[in-house]
Amino acid sequence: MIPCIESGIPEFDELTRSNSGTGGIPENSSTLIYGPSKTGKSIFNYQFTYHGLSHDEPCLYITTDQGLKQLEGNMFDFQIPIEKYIAEKTLYVIDTTSNISEGMKTKTETIVSSHINNPTDIMVKVGSGVKYICKNNPRFRSVLDSTTTLLAYNDNMLILRVLKAYLMRVNEAGGTPIITYTENTADTMVETMLKSMVDNIIKLDGKTLTVEAMKGIGKRSSQYQITTHGIIF
Amino acid sequence: MKKTHIPKLDDFIGGGIPEGSSILFCAVPGVECEAFGYQILNGIIEDGHKGFIFTNVSEPNDIIYEFSQYGWNLEKYLEEEKAFFVDGSSNFIGVPPMGKYSINELSQIEGIVLNAIDDVSNGVGVINNLSTLIDYLEEDKIIEILDKWNKRAKANNTILVYIFTKWGYEQKLIDTIKNSVDSVVSLTSIEERVIIGQGFMVTSASWTRPQNNMVLFFVLQPGGVKIYIPKILVTGPYNAGKSSFVKSISKKSVSVERMALEKFPTTIAMDIGHVDHTGFVADIFGTPGQERFDLMLDVLSKEAVGAFIIVDSSAPQTFARAKEMINKTHAKAIPKIIVANKQDMPGALSTEQIREAMKLDKNIPIIPTTITENTGVEEALDALLTLLYGDTK
Repeated sequence: MIPCIESGIPEFDELTRSNSGTGGIPENSSTLIYGPSKTGKSIFNYQFTYHGLSHDEPCLYITTDQGLKQLEGNMFDFQIPIEKYIAEKTLYVIDTTSNISEGMKTKTETIVSSHINNPTDIMVKVGSGVKYICKNNPRFRSVLDSTTTLLAYNDNMLILRVLKAYLMRVNEAGGTPIITYTENTADTMVETMLKSMVDNIIKLDGKTLTVEAMKGIGKRSSQYQITTHGIIF
Repeated sequence: MKKTHIPKLDDFIGGGIPEGSSILFCAVPGVECEAFGYQILNGIIEDGHKGFIFTNVSEPNDIIYEFSQYGWNLEKYLEEEKAFFVDGSSNFIGVPPMGKYSINELSQIEGIVLNAIDDVSNGVGVINNLSTLIDYLEEDKIIEILDKWNKRAKANNTILVYIFTKWGYEQKLIDTIKNSVDSVVSLTSIEERVIIGQGFMVTSASWTRPQNNMVLFFVLQPGGVKIYIPKILVTGPYNAGKSSFVKSISKKSVSVERMALEKFPTTIAMDIGHVDHTGFVADIFGTPGQERFDLMLDVLSKEAVGAFIIVDSSAPQTFARAKEMINKTHAKAIPKIIVANKQDMPGALSTEQIREAMKLDKNIPIIPTTITENTGVEEALDALLTLLYGDTK
């Protein structure tokens, strides 16, 4: 039996239910969510993050295309309040967008800034983030949204190496990481390599959610919609 | 010779870096390495020389901010023209460049950095980050550029400091890069699921035979790179031989003990020792074994980077207590060695029997010892050092 953690989208957990009865995202595995833009990849992450937070599973969230304020706002649009978890320090955010020199107003122990084209520094912050979260929690979630921005601002080969290091770091510490990628923004070789470095692949195309690969189950898909309550099937 | 202003590093490389030499800080991903470059630059400028920072990873404003976090005033040096930027970042992410030189396209990097080297003769240039360059340029090209920069630096008495992160490159490339500089400092991590410590070690220096000790450090804001003496924990049940172990691995040790049942001494506070073994320096903290002192375990174990769990091989009834102590000292989360003491006693269990009885993971080394006869003690110490520092030692 492969132990799974609930995704935060009950229908998704149902879709991925295996013969042994568990459904969701296999715990301690790595997942790629990809698809065209505006198909709900980030929303999947919001729900995944929030579900963990509300069940005492902290989250390390690396945001590369929106600043913390924007992230808070966007999550709130789907009725996901994260203020409480920021205050409780169970949501650890690495913000690579808000400019540090302009003074990130909310910089705290668990809200740290990095720089979109400084993978070395991002990895240092990931290291200390994982250490912080691990201290009191054997299990946690991690989201990197999105790899597209990292790929756009850096050399692709470098970012593939960085992503590998990131996934390994989170997995080794007992976490379950998700990375996102907007389809067709990098060349096909990069896409193939992205897919080859994760355990699970989920595709969102705006209408259909397809589990292209997942530990323990075959290919499965279902129609979905994006509502003010997030993704529903 | 110029001082690096990194604590201990100057001692290891014979006092500092000779003018015109290059030094590479080669880091495992996740280890803080930029601070080394910045600290050297800050120190050398403070000593009255000039310097530049080539950046392709952060905009100059962010680096100025970083400096201010360390407590160093880069802005002042920029105004006084003691320092300048070669901005290889801003144009690529679409913000206005800043600094004496800015780079619009990759082909300019080589020439512009050569100019910058000329501008700071007898000073220092920091290249942050070499890994990013490697991925943008061809591998052969990068080696060629490094050679040109290093030659020019030599001619100008400029020290070049390279910051390099080892992102899964082929070993051959890493070796070639290491060979093209005068000195290499490896920055590595101590890990047990997560990074629990960071260390640096000089692996080569063309001008001297470097001391290859591993030094643990952290980066403070403010303060920069600070080194610390790691703490090693020695724990285990009552009467397992912890104090004897601390004594046998330490040059000097102190124990707070009293006679138990007027027969043998028992530790009632702690043992403190100091180990200096093949260049590795650490403070050793031994915990008391009796349950009534358990409240001290938490305090004693804070910030330990490794642990020895001493068990009496002839007393399996104490193994449960040993496991309890592993939990109470948080030793689960740090590299550890089980020291199977009293192997000379009748009925002593073998290491495999102990592993079975204690249900220990096969990755945790168990070293058979007889501490009173000093057998196995050195092996235990070596085993922990290997766990801590891996192949770099």
